[in-house]
Amino acid sequence: MSPVTDSRKSVLERIRAATAGKAAEGHADIPRNYVRRGDMTVSARHERFVERLREYDAEVVECEPEGLAAAITAVLAASGRHRFVAPPGIPAEWYVDAAWKIEGLECTFDHGLETREIEQAEGVITGCFCGVADSGTIVLHHGPAEGRRVISLLPDWHLCVVHSSQVVETLPEYFDRCQVSGVRDQGPERLPKLVTWISGPSATADIEMTRIKGVHGPRFLHVILVRD
Amino acid sequence: MSGSMRASLFITCYNDTLYPETGRAVVRLLERLGVEVEFRAGQTCCGQMHANTGFRGEAFSQAKRLVRLYADAEAVVVPSSSCVAMMRDQYPGLFEELGNEALRKDFRALLPRVWELSEFLIDKLGVEDVGAYFPHRVTYHASCHGLRALRLGDRPFRLLNKVRGLELVPLKNLDRCCGFGGTFSVKNGDVSSAMLTVKLEDVLGTGAEFCTALDNSCLMHLGGAMHREYAPMKTIHMAQILASTQEKPAEVVG
Amino acid sequence: MSGVTDHPVLDPALAPPFPAAALPVLRNVQLRKNVAHAIDVIQAKRGKLVAEKTDWQELRTAAAAIKDETLANLGGYLEQFEERCTAAGGHVHWAADAAEARRIMLEILREAGANEVIKIKTMTAAEIQLNPFLEAAGVRAYETDLAEIILQLGKGEPSHIVVPALHVNRAQVREIFARTMGLPDLSDDPKGLTEAARNYLRQKFLEVPTAISGANFLVAETGGVAIVESEGNGRMCLTLPRTMITLAGIEKVVPRFQDLEVMLQLLARSATGERMNPYTSLWTGVVPGDGPQNFHVVLLDNGRSSILGRKTERQTLRCIRCAACMNTCPVYRQTGGHAYGSVYPGPIGAILTPQLEQLRHAQSLPFASSLCGACYEVCPVKINIPEILIDLRARVTDQERHTVGKFFDPLYVGLRVANVIFSQAWLFHFAQWAGRIGAKLVTRRDGWIHALPSVGAKWTQTRDLRGLPKQTFHEWWRERKTAGRQVSGSASQRVGDAVGGRETK
Repeated sequence: MSPVTDSRKSVLERIRAATAGKAAEGHADIPRNYVRRGDMTVSARHERFVERLREYDAEVVECEPEGLAAAITAVLAASGRHRFVAPPGIPAEWYVDAAWKIEGLECTFDHGLETREIEQAEGVITGCFCGVADSGTIVLHHGPAEGRRVISLLPDWHLCVVHSSQVVETLPEYFDRCQVSGVRDQGPERLPKLVTWISGPSATADIEMTRIKGVHGPRFLHVILVRD
Repeated sequence: MSGSMRASLFITCYNDTLYPETGRAVVRLLERLGVEVEFRAGQTCCGQMHANTGFRGEAFSQAKRLVRLYADAEAVVVPSSSCVAMMRDQYPGLFEELGNEALRKDFRALLPRVWELSEFLIDKLGVEDVGAYFPHRVTYHASCHGLRALRLGDRPFRLLNKVRGLELVPLKNLDRCCGFGGTFSVKNGDVSSAMLTVKLEDVLGTGAEFCTALDNSCLMHLGGAMHREYAPMKTIHMAQILASTQEKPAEVVG
Repeated sequence: MSGVTDHPVLDPALAPPFPAAALPVLRNVQLRKNVAHAIDVIQAKRGKLVAEKTDWQELRTAAAAIKDETLANLGGYLEQFEERCTAAGGHVHWAADAAEARRIMLEILREAGANEVIKIKTMTAAEIQLNPFLEAAGVRAYETDLAEIILQLGKGEPSHIVVPALHVNRAQVREIFARTMGLPDLSDDPKGLTEAARNYLRQKFLEVPTAISGANFLVAETGGVAIVESEGNGRMCLTLPRTMITLAGIEKVVPRFQDLEVMLQLLARSATGERMNPYTSLWTGVVPGDGPQNFHVVLLDNGRSSILGRKTERQTLRCIRCAACMNTCPVYRQTGGHAYGSVYPGPIGAILTPQLEQLRHAQSLPFASSLCGACYEVCPVKINIPEILIDLRARVTDQERHTVGKFFDPLYVGLRVANVIFSQAWLFHFAQWAGRIGAKLVTRRDGWIHALPSVGAKWTQTRDLRGLPKQTFHEWWRERKTAGRQVSGSASQRVGDAVGGRETK
């Protein structure tokens, strides 16, 4: 018997001895009287999301669904950057207009790019799973339209397309969205394996509590909010 | 009004020994409000000092004594937040662990009848204006036990605001501990003194003549430094302010 | 000069007792200023956000309940986590103590052929003193968190669990970076300093294939691990390398993924005064093609299971390491973290450290508090720290009081004598009388005592003590009674005056 397995046994034994006796209330009995669902209107929620993003110095552009491609083109053009990387599953409508209109634009799709190739990119475009208005948070589940974690990490500039219908008010509402709609307790297989919650560009306050934006991770965050 | 009410004064060990003028003020004040004050001669200490230094068995024996002493008291009034907090926060655990069922019963019956002074005035007697006169600039220091354990809230202010002639100056960082902490003041005397210096900056910064509180423990610590440093300020327990009238002004000792 | 290169001892087995450790810090004006500034900033931000959160108290209640449920069934939840993480391709190891955790981690590193490792800030690794152990075994550990770099390069020690270098100011950081990164022209502007750190680390992130992290939360339901950070170094370390080792105390587990909706709302607001910190990452085992393909979790006991079994103390393990307690602590404000002689300072350190040491060390920490209760008020998981401090004081005292050293200690003697005195009113009165006489010897003409011996000397070091009055209260009362004062008669005279609020004549 390896020493490691012995420790597993001894640690669990110590824990069991320490927790024997009076059973706890049970997970279902945990009092959840905090706010689960917000009561903002769609437009108020939308506004709050934009406000909170701007507080973090994220650049926010709003558009109608039919104006999305043009909005993407405009933001990419204004960035002055040309080498982009994108997840393989982003909709074609997102980039064909820009590819046509912006001279020298290179968009490489991540079909298993090497890290040093991604390091060469000047920017990344992704979708997202959800936005949380209360904290200005964008949530990535790293599906086909969001991409592997590395591509939204290494480039210095990140454009994220968020649809209004993806935006919830409170964090608990995001967790509700993670469950298959209408079917609770489907089991852990339904829950995301990878999640990145992004609330503004990276920052540090380690030196005299002075907040410095952009340490590692993209220093520039652009959001296009589609009013769908 | 409450002319027939009787209140038993638990003066506390340190007030009895060091600050009898606070006790005298409580008596004067309560009698003026029509309360009949009694004083049980057998009282000594609530056990807090022992409980907080890890002498739990000793603390329990004092707690037991106190509960027995006041078993039949109509109301017990205590001019010290920390002693009342001891009874509310620590007595339950002590009696649970070291007592028997009979004692626990007596304790549970007694507890609702124990009042810190400002609680007794406002909640029990329903009085904010106690007819006091104290024509001085005063700042109020919120002791941690009063603030957090007893949640006295605005009671002290409601009382002080009705004192004629009194000019109340607010204290910055009101919720910051003065650094007394019982035996902490000697076991960690250096840190206690550093906390005291920082607190005194705020207290002296009010420019008041007096710093008052509902606990002489904090005032002993603050006042001790004021005296050492020849500061232009004195400490005085709120009971003495509330007992003060034009005809018989407060005893200011030291 | 600097509090960074002075070598504070954060090993509880070796650190001086709190009163002795605090004294040199109290004399370090720069450090006290740095600490006060840092905690004022966080406190102000936290206060604003807590005030705006209308369900703050309900969140605290839920979080405490989630943690209590977890702790009451800890064995089951840990096994569930292990099962799910393993099913997702991770490897779970169990370490009974610090030595074993270090050994397990080194073995994994050796197997991976690693002689370098990049680290995300983790207090747990500091608790087991991992870095020096790895160094001695030929594995260089590179800290990637800005505060940890400052401390690693400056050979300093952390003094706070969220902002570990808060005791260091910009000039001191500039000096460290200029010297160790070879940047003599570096200015002390925080932006420039941060840029220097960014450049210094970029290559390390891209090249070092092995990383070590801690964990903020382990999710039993899914086998997921969550890390909460600001700088992005965490994301770098948990995405780019091939091998990843996560070290986590057994109390880090939460039952369900959904439980994070409570914990995340509380943690960022409490720790850094933000609604949400910049980056929170969650990953589950191994995901093909994305992130480390060789993933290990080391579950650490190291004294935690001993805390679990105690009724009053179990709540210590609810801690989510937000540091709100030390940010509000008036003692910590004056002493900073190093005085606590542990990687866990402040109020949580005062209860956690002695308990992890099973009361063999750090016995002075439960006394390093004025019991003001501010920590309890801000704790997002409602740990009643004062209650635990008092219980630990009793346990330490029970341990020591019969040893020869303590039996004759003046404070212990005084307390035993006081107990006897309080047991009988006549003894109490006699002691007061005797005290009055004795005090005359030390009372000056101004009626105050300026110097006391023994334990009292710590009082009179900075404070006077008013001399004992001629009459105790009970003596006055007795005199008054025997003077035949009619209580009921005089009282009714005054009722009219007071009740109507009219001025007395």
